[in-house]
Amino acid sequence: MKHLPKVGALLCMSVVFSSGLALCGGKNQPTKIKAGAIQVAMIQSDETPVPAEFRVALYENLIRQLEKRGFQQVYRDGDRNAASVADLVVLHSTVRGFKPGSEKARRVTTVAGATSISVHCQFTNVEGQPLLERDVTGKVRFFGGNLRATYDFAKKASGIAYENFSPTDSK
Amino acid sequence: MTSRSTKTFVPVALLAAAIAATAASPQQISKAVKVVQLTGLPGMKENAKGILSVENGNLHFVHAKAISDVSAGLIQDVVTGSDSQEAVGKTVGIISMAAPYGGGRFLSLFRNKIDTLTVEYRDADGAFHGAIFTMPVGTAEEIKKELIAQGAHTLSSTSADKEQKQ
Repeated sequence: MKHLPKVGALLCMSVVFSSGLALCGGKNQPTKIKAGAIQVAMIQSDETPVPAEFRVALYENLIRQLEKRGFQQVYRDGDRNAASVADLVVLHSTVRGFKPGSEKARRVTTVAGATSISVHCQFTNVEGQPLLERDVTGKVRFFGGNLRATYDFAKKASGIAYENFSPTDSK
Repeated sequence: MTSRSTKTFVPVALLAAAIAATAASPQQISKAVKVVQLTGLPGMKENAKGILSVENGNLHFVHAKAISDVSAGLIQDVVTGSDSQEAVGKTVGIISMAAPYGGGRFLSLFRNKIDTLTVEYRDADGAFHGAIFTMPVGTAEEIKKELIAQGAHTLSSTSADKEQKQ
């Protein structure tokens, strides 16, 4: 009976400590938005002129990377099958900055000639209401051709999609 | 005399018929070009090497046993461009990086010019696709002209059109 206050205090401390841990853990894992499927809209580059091969490579790499991240239903721009999908998330990408760089300069100097492409990504629902917005930059600094910057962008953008949206089976 | 003239006439007639049949044939086949498909064609791996041609109103790509056809009528835009790649192969390029006195960097200075061909199209469901090819310099414009002749659309003019405007 003598130790009862001590045990009670210890219990209280452990409860406070564990609940604090749970709260901190909860902050690191934000709640994911349900996504029945993702539709990738065509890359817009009205403000910043980008070569056609970069625009196409951004789009195609984005689709491949989203599929690799576990999104089983990734629809392309204009796909009529996407119309009937519940919880459809549409990814709009707009090129904000583009530095062509040079593969030759990279190989010869190592420090110069980096290619970078900055893209504003906006995830919306079907009605067009924004769900999430991020700026993503794809870069190639040392090895690879200039188009590899589009692969870097696609990996980062699909990572953001994976962190914030949970793919659900809507079949 | 009769048999000799018949002997000469039959092969000539057959040759003429063959030429006439070829000319009258509805098949339109452009020169096949060795290309690398960087990305975009359904069912094809990235960086797949193969043969590209324009046949019977289709952009026809063959890689090993895999075949991919895109109807020229579905193509919304064809864009040609230019790029360059290392004259030495990928493996040699990587090995040469270990060469002393910057030998690898020196090798990197030698580059071959290449053409790029970007094709944008929509499939039967209306879904947008884009395919990128690299090919020997001077061949992309030929493929583009052939595609346009067989029904492909383009937003940019060919180099021949530009010359005519000038």
